[in-house]
Amino acid sequence: MLRNHTRRDWLCAAASAVSGAYLAGTRLASATEAPAGRVALARCKTYDPGEVTPALRKMFDQLGGLGKLVNGKTVAIKINLTGSPTYRLGYEPLENTHYTHPAVIAATVQLLGMAGARRIRVLESPWATADPVEEYLLQANIEPRDILGAARNVEFENTNYLGFAKKYSRLKVPSGGYVFPAFDLNHSYEDCDVFVSIAKMKEHATAGITLSMKNCFGITPCTVYGEGAGVDEPSILPKGGRDLIHAGNRGPSKSAPQEKDPKSPRQDTWRVPRTVVDLVGARPIHLAIIEGVKTMTGGEGPWVSPYQTAVEPGVMLAGLNPVNTDAVAMSVMGFDPMADRGTPPFEQCDSTLKLAEDVGLGTRDLKRIEVIGARIAEVRFDFATLRKRRGSMPERPLGMRG
Amino acid sequence: MQWPEGWKDPGVLDLVKGTPIDYLLVPNGPEFDAVRSHAQQLGIEVGDPGRAPGGIEIVKGSWPGVQWPTNGAGAGPTGVPWVNSNGWLIRLNRALHPEIAQWVDGPPPAKSFIDADSYLIAIADSATHGGRWIVALDEPVAKGIAVREAKSLAVWKRLTATAAFFAVHKTWTDYSPVGVAGIVSDFTGDNEFFSHELLNLMGRAGLHYRILPKDRISATSFESLRAVSYTDATSPSPELRRQILQFVQAGGLLIAAPIWGEVAGSPASSPQPGYKVQAVGKGRVALADDVPTDPYSWAADTAVLVSHRYDLVRFWNSGASRSFYTMSPDRKQAVVHLLFYAERGPDSATVRVAGRYRAVRGSTVDAPKIEDLAIQPQGDGVEVRLPQVSQYVALELDV
Repeated sequence: MLRNHTRRDWLCAAASAVSGAYLAGTRLASATEAPAGRVALARCKTYDPGEVTPALRKMFDQLGGLGKLVNGKTVAIKINLTGSPTYRLGYEPLENTHYTHPAVIAATVQLLGMAGARRIRVLESPWATADPVEEYLLQANIEPRDILGAARNVEFENTNYLGFAKKYSRLKVPSGGYVFPAFDLNHSYEDCDVFVSIAKMKEHATAGITLSMKNCFGITPCTVYGEGAGVDEPSILPKGGRDLIHAGNRGPSKSAPQEKDPKSPRQDTWRVPRTVVDLVGARPIHLAIIEGVKTMTGGEGPWVSPYQTAVEPGVMLAGLNPVNTDAVAMSVMGFDPMADRGTPPFEQCDSTLKLAEDVGLGTRDLKRIEVIGARIAEVRFDFATLRKRRGSMPERPLGMRG
Repeated sequence: MQWPEGWKDPGVLDLVKGTPIDYLLVPNGPEFDAVRSHAQQLGIEVGDPGRAPGGIEIVKGSWPGVQWPTNGAGAGPTGVPWVNSNGWLIRLNRALHPEIAQWVDGPPPAKSFIDADSYLIAIADSATHGGRWIVALDEPVAKGIAVREAKSLAVWKRLTATAAFFAVHKTWTDYSPVGVAGIVSDFTGDNEFFSHELLNLMGRAGLHYRILPKDRISATSFESLRAVSYTDATSPSPELRRQILQFVQAGGLLIAAPIWGEVAGSPASSPQPGYKVQAVGKGRVALADDVPTDPYSWAADTAVLVSHRYDLVRFWNSGASRSFYTMSPDRKQAVVHLLFYAERGPDSATVRVAGRYRAVRGSTVDAPKIEDLAIQPQGDGVEVRLPQVSQYVALELDV
C-alpha cells in the first residue's frame, strides 16, 4: 500500500487515512467516528534489557508486528529529552523521571532493525541548543552508543534547527489546523516513511498530561518557533523555549506559515493542546510508545513544583493510533480519558485528546479501543489520587516552556 | 585586606589578630597612623592601597558571583546564568608569571545584596585557583563591624573562617590543573581579547583546560590532553606547528583558526557545523571555516568537538557553578574544587568526576572532613551526591 509513493504523498495519505473528516477542513468527526484500534499494554518493572526488549517485542507482535510497518523503510523516532540535561529531580537520573529511558529507545531501535528498518533516525530538539543530540545525552550521563549500536544505520539528529538539510520542510495540517495551518520543520520529519513517538508517561503543567501526542510539541524548531526565532527568516541557532506557541506574544518567523487567527485566545492552556493536535495532524504518528517504567508525578520536569516525586509504575504501552494509546495511558494513570476542561488532569486546560478526537485523529473512548496484553486495572498507577492528595494541579512555571 | 576608610580606631585590629589576614592596605593619611602602628606591633604587615609588596602582583578582577541581567531579560530556570569569576585570570597570570603571587582586587559593588556567603565565594573563587582575594568589605558590613554589631560580626567570622580554611590547605595551590583542552596563545596584543575571553568562557562551557603560553611549549605540554585550541591571529612558528602536529599524529585533536592553513589528511565528519575536519595520523584537525570572532562560540564549539564524553566534571542541580580539577605533584591525590556562585548552596546536587579513585572525601568551610559522601562508581568516573552544602566544596580523591 505504501509503495511507489513519494514520502510527501505518503505522509498526506497516512494523515488522510485516519479520517475523511480532514478533507472538509472542519470539526466533523466525533468520538464515534474517530478511528479505534488496538493498544498493547505490558507490565515492565525494570529497565533491564532482558525485561524491556521482550515486553516491547510482545507488544509490537500484539499490534500485528513491526515488519509490515517498517521493513525497508526509514523510521524516525521522536524521543523526549525535555529541559536541561543538568536538571534532575533530586538525585534521580533524568531517564528515571522525565527523559525517555535509553533502554527503551535502544530496545525499540533494536527491534525496528530486526524488523527490517533500512534507516533509523532518533530525533529530539534539545533545550536551546543546536549541539548534536549525542552531546546532549552525554551531559545527562546517558551513553548514546548504546542506542547507535542497537541496529544498523542508526543516527541522531537535532531537530531544533535546520540541521543537515538546506531548507525546512513544510508540513500541512490536513484538517486545516486549530492554530497553525502548517509548520516548517526540520527535514527529518518529512524524510521518513514511518514516524514513532516514544514518550514518558507524565503529567504536564500546561497540557494536563504529556504522552505520545504532547511529545510532538518538541518537533517544532526554536529557530522558527522559539523566543529567539528570527523575525523574517529562521535564526541560525535556537535560543530559549517555545514561548511564542505558549503565549502567542509574537508569530513564528515570517517565512513560516502564520497563525490562522491572531485574535484567538493567548492562553497557553488553550494554545498548547491545539498546537499539539495540529502537529500530530501534520506529522502523523504511526507507532506510539509510552514508557512509564519509572517516571515522576506532578509535572513534566523537576522545575514544575517542589511537590514532585519519582515513581515506578512499571508499565509500557504501544499502539498504532496515538489518541487511542494516550487514552489508555490516561486510564492507566487513573484519569478519565473522556475528561474535558475543568476535570483532572485538565483542570485549567483543554484536553489534547478531545481536540484530537474532534478532528478525527482517533477515539479516546475506551469502549471502542481494544486493549491487549495486561489489563488496565492490573497495571494502574494512580497519578490521579496522588494529584488529589497534593491538593493541586501542577503549577505553571514562568520561564520554562519547552 | 583593604582597610575600610571608616576604621580609624586601631582597636578593630583585635578582630584581625589571629586570622590569616596578614597584610593590610591602609589608606594614606595621618588619621590611620595609629592603625598602622598598632598593626605593626601585632606583626601584621602594612602597605599603601594599590601597591603590592615584592613578589606579588595585584590584578584587577571582578566581584565573583552571578551577574544578574540589567535589562530584565535573563536565563530561564534551566538556562545557564552568567557568572563572574576571577579564576581564569589568576590562572593566566600564574601561567605567564609563575614566580609572582596573585592578589585579586575585586571589591563588592555598592548597593548590592551581600551576605556572609558572598564573601565565602569571593575568597574561594581566588584561593582555589591559586590567588588571594583582597578582603574588601562592603560599607554596611564595615560599619557594623566597627560598632561590633552582631550580624556584621557573624559575616566577619564567616569570612575569616573561609580564609583560615584555605590557609590550612595552602598546599593545594601547588596542585596542577587537569584539563582536556590546551589553549595555546601568546595571550597578548591582537590576541589578548579573544584569548582572555576564551579562557573566561571555557569555564562557562564546562570545559577544563590548561593554559599553554606559546613560548613555553615543551615535550610535556600536551600530556593527557585530548585537544589543543589555536586561535592566534598569526601563524604558529615552524617549531610550534611541528609540536602540535606531533600531538595530532599521536591521537590529539587540533581546533584551529583558518590562519593555521590547510592540513594534509583525509576528510572526516565534523560533529559541528563551521569546521572542516581532517584525519591526520591517529588524530584530527578541525579547521574553522571563518576567522573566529566570538570567543563564546569558540568555547562552545570546542566543547562539542572534544565531546562531552570526556567531561572531567559534570554537575546536576548545581545552578551557577564552576569546577577546577587539580592533581597533586605526586599524582596520588586529586582535588576538585566545586564552586556554587548563587546566593545559597545547591540542594540535591550531584557531581560526576572523571577518573578512577579508591576514596572520596569532601571538605567545606563548615565541615572540614565529610567522609560519608554517597558515592556511585561509574566505570571511568565516580558520581558523588552532595549533601546540602554552602557555596564551596572540595572533593579530595585518592588515586
